Amino acid sequence: MRKELGSFVLGDSTKCTGCKACEVACFTVHSRQQNQTGKTVGTVTVPVTPRLFLTKFEKGCMPVQCKHCEDAPCLNACTKGAISRTDHQVIVDPEKCIGCKDCMQACPFGAIALLPYAKNGRVVAQPMSPEPKVFACKCDLCQGIEGGPACVRVCPHEALRIVDPEAEREEKNIRAAEALLLTKNWR
Amino acid sequence: MSMGIPEIEDSGCLLCFGYNGADSHPIVARRIVRGKQKGMKIICVDPRVTETARISDIHLQLKGGSNLALVNAIANVIWSEGLTDDAFIREHTKGYDEFIEVIKEYTPEYAEPITHVPAEEIRRAARLYATTKPAMILYGMGVCQFSQAVDVVKGLANLALMTGNFGGPAMGIGPVRGQNNVQGACDMGALPNSYPGYQNVTDPKSREKFEKAWGVSLPDKVGCPITHVPRRILHEKDESKRIHAYYIFGEDPAQSDPDLAEVREALDKCDFVVMQDIYMNKTGLYADVILPATGWGENEGVYTCADRGFQRIRKLVEPEGDLKPDWQIIAEISTAMGYPMEYKNTEEIWNELIDLCPSFQGATYEKMEKYGCVQWPCRDKSMEDKGTPYLHKDGKFATADQKALFYGTQWHPPLEKENEQYPMTLSTVREVGHYSVRTMTGNCRTLRNLEDEPGWVQMNTEDCRRLGLKKGELVKILSKRGYCITRCLPTDRVTPGATYMTYQWWIGACNELTIAELDPVSNTPEYKYCACRVEKIEDQEWAERHVQELYEDIRAQMGIHTGKGAKA
Repeated sequence: MRKELGSFVLGDSTKCTGCKACEVACFTVHSRQQNQTGKTVGTVTVPVTPRLFLTKFEKGCMPVQCKHCEDAPCLNACTKGAISRTDHQVIVDPEKCIGCKDCMQACPFGAIALLPYAKNGRVVAQPMSPEPKVFACKCDLCQGIEGGPACVRVCPHEALRIVDPEAEREEKNIRAAEALLLTKNWR
Repeated sequence: MSMGIPEIEDSGCLLCFGYNGADSHPIVARRIVRGKQKGMKIICVDPRVTETARISDIHLQLKGGSNLALVNAIANVIWSEGLTDDAFIREHTKGYDEFIEVIKEYTPEYAEPITHVPAEEIRRAARLYATTKPAMILYGMGVCQFSQAVDVVKGLANLALMTGNFGGPAMGIGPVRGQNNVQGACDMGALPNSYPGYQNVTDPKSREKFEKAWGVSLPDKVGCPITHVPRRILHEKDESKRIHAYYIFGEDPAQSDPDLAEVREALDKCDFVVMQDIYMNKTGLYADVILPATGWGENEGVYTCADRGFQRIRKLVEPEGDLKPDWQIIAEISTAMGYPMEYKNTEEIWNELIDLCPSFQGATYEKMEKYGCVQWPCRDKSMEDKGTPYLHKDGKFATADQKALFYGTQWHPPLEKENEQYPMTLSTVREVGHYSVRTMTGNCRTLRNLEDEPGWVQMNTEDCRRLGLKKGELVKILSKRGYCITRCLPTDRVTPGATYMTYQWWIGACNELTIAELDPVSNTPEYKYCACRVEKIEDQEWAERHVQELYEDIRAQMGIHTGKGAKA
């Protein structure tokens, strides 16, 4: 059966120590898919473009990534049709992206960065300029990558998890109902 | 460390002193996070809001350079409020009364103006530490890299002694070591005062043993600590003590030692410099001979973890090119110099070593293979002796009468204080993406893309506002000894007046500024405190170009060429 709401990855500030293993893993698995890089970081020849962003500030520290909004402002803002919903995930097609920054402006969480686009181990140049082509770089929940989101798999502190919002809501309902069972005088 | 690293998460209370695990040891930090989840209380003593401070129950944000005043004040509260473990003090220690005489005056009210920590907070922390069992202390470079370092280590040990926190699991005191395999280097006798296994060179019995085993006569004098080398090259009048040759391996003093201008002058004036490393680095620019060595994964041997655990390291790939593992280079140099060393493999070397070191004797290759890790002391070769996870079992210490000694000292301030010309302080720190002097990690594109030259100076947002500095802007930072250019990082995780820089950058090299003031016992420099000034650079475009030129220049000198297709 089709799920009603899309999943997303969430960071936990009480466990995160800011080690950036998630950022490195995110880049590595995507780069392996797109640039045929080897298993070790020493084989990387392209700019490092993680799709989640370790965010450190006075009160906390955690990675921030796309929530895969149901009514996604980035998708609504894109005039080039480069952003689509596939299997409840908000996905960017880097080939169609022109780097106009509309999605970046629209995203309330800062979950999209414009970063250099590389293919087959090389940075793709803009047609009329030596500058690198940029694309809206954001979480795609490791679509097509075996084992699912790499950030969740590598975090040594288990500070990242995949949220299934409907399942979690049902669970909370059950917990709330259990609590209510204990109160005698409710009606 | 008196405890094993896996024990951290089972402690009741962790006093984390001058130690930022999240940046320096992410894997140890994991134990701290897990401990927190299991209900461990955390007291974090750090001038910055580190990740540990963030999840701590009490954060004592002390002023840099006031460590011993705070430690003595905590001891004062434990003593004056009667929170001591009197039976432990009576049965297992000596010198308590003399120690109390010293700490008597360190009331929290006395310490408050020195440490900038409210007296009531010191009391709260002392009570929490003293009333939770087992309680553990971890400390790092925030203790060791001051001119008053060894006194603070002893001060922390006093706290564990007066509360009876020695001799069982998940308690005690643990230095989480600052460099890769530094524990192993010390274990192997790479110290000026000891043979392998902490057997003193001035002890005739030990000397005799090693002389017999190696068939040579050995000097009876303590050698030269690394931090004394520059002055022994530049300023030593006694010709017999002057250093003429300097053999450096796995170390980059032209990046990591304090007061780099002095280090460069010394390397320049030294008659003969040998460098043995896996990549070119700044020290290599002064070397007469460079010996290329193998990196991890290309060689094998034994590694000691900070918690005294011996582990095997194994070769994954065959090294490519004209290079050899360190042990072969050493054996060949020694042979060429007239002392033949003919070892077939590292196990032969290891077996010779453990038979000369009683506390390592039981740690055979066979045991390391079987158990994964063997923590010394391990004295018996039988498979039943699995080593020692925690030291001082049943309160028995490694002294003649098995009693621990209290050691009270007065606090003194760091040498170079803030002044009109240099109104701020500089402390050198670590960051998670780059290891030590970046000889290894600086050559990894992924890590370099995450953080790159010329690095950052962490400053309080108020100071940034006052100086008109924005995030990412290039700034000049100066001390009496030198200056460098780096990027400004405004953050409220640090207090006004203090600045922090990581020491691995070639351009933003903070050791141009640091002071070569040493702890009298450990000879460790005061990396955590010197006076400095930050200046705004008006012409940012020039500064960006200048930094790029400096970087290209160093790379060209080192013969580094950027690979094709690499945007790095």
